[in-house]
Amino acid sequence: MNQHWPVAEPDAVARLHALAAGVRGASVTEGVVDAPYARVWAHLADLEKGFGDVEPDMRRFTVLSNENGRLEALAVSRYGMRARLRGTLRPGWCWLQSRFLLIGVAAAPDGPERTRVAFTGGVRVPGRAALIPLGVKQSGRRSLRLLQRRMQG
Amino acid sequence: MNPDELAPLVRQAQRGDTLAMNDLLDALAPYVGRICAPIALGHGPDAAQEALIVIFKSLKHLRAPEALLAWARTIAVREAVRIANDRRTVPAELADLPQAGDPQLETDIADVLRRLSPEHRAILVLRDQEGYSETEAAALLAIEVGTVKSRLHRARRSFQKVWSA
Repeated sequence: MNQHWPVAEPDAVARLHALAAGVRGASVTEGVVDAPYARVWAHLADLEKGFGDVEPDMRRFTVLSNENGRLEALAVSRYGMRARLRGTLRPGWCWLQSRFLLIGVAAAPDGPERTRVAFTGGVRVPGRAALIPLGVKQSGRRSLRLLQRRMQG
Repeated sequence: MNPDELAPLVRQAQRGDTLAMNDLLDALAPYVGRICAPIALGHGPDAAQEALIVIFKSLKHLRAPEALLAWARTIAVREAVRIANDRRTVPAELADLPQAGDPQLETDIADVLRRLSPEHRAILVLRDQEGYSETEAAALLAIEVGTVKSRLHRARRSFQKVWSA
């Protein structure tokens, strides 16, 4: 391949739209946050502290292992349900699944002072690339709203 | 990308493993981006996103996981041509192509690509990056090979200085 050919790679937010397209029932909520990418992602990637701020259904999140971005974690919902999650965490990208839960978050710089963020996920049809279509849109919108509020504070 | 390594991931993804889908996305996104960019030019990222959406929506219907790359390539080319045509504002005129030897060619391959129609750019990509014959490439795009062959010859000759630089 010749190095002069133009190349284009979709950013993390665009990738999240693509991956969610393969998950039946998934909805992607995308928005812009008035804060630099580094600050936004530092907050979101702190799964044990920051992520709970934008996902209030999550009571506790414990990272069990993280080897080169391959993550295992234990999540406990405020209703006491537990989920053992596996997946990928790297700059701008988080994709985690358990048998009953799916979490997808992506972020990309939108200029030096703003960040495009996208959320997807919800209750998974056990073992399938499908979500139970209850509250998936509301959940994403709420996470985005909470993140925007948090970044203003 | 090794097709032998991708096929098991496709099967896992088709069974509903979204982590396998994630790994496939990591493998396919750069590949799809390389195909879409020279065809859709400034709309390359949008074309790549649209192509990946089609790929992941349709993945469960792919009957031969070993054929993933060829299948993804076809989708990427078609989406890139569609988006480039939808958003094209200036009709491409191959007559405007610079002659071989034009020093401009050495500095801006993207400018030369802009002078071609999306279909011609697609054939160049398929022919010279992906190793298709002109006949195969024209068939993939549903274009008469005879009507494009001579023009492509000239376009490809225009690129030679850049390619061999």
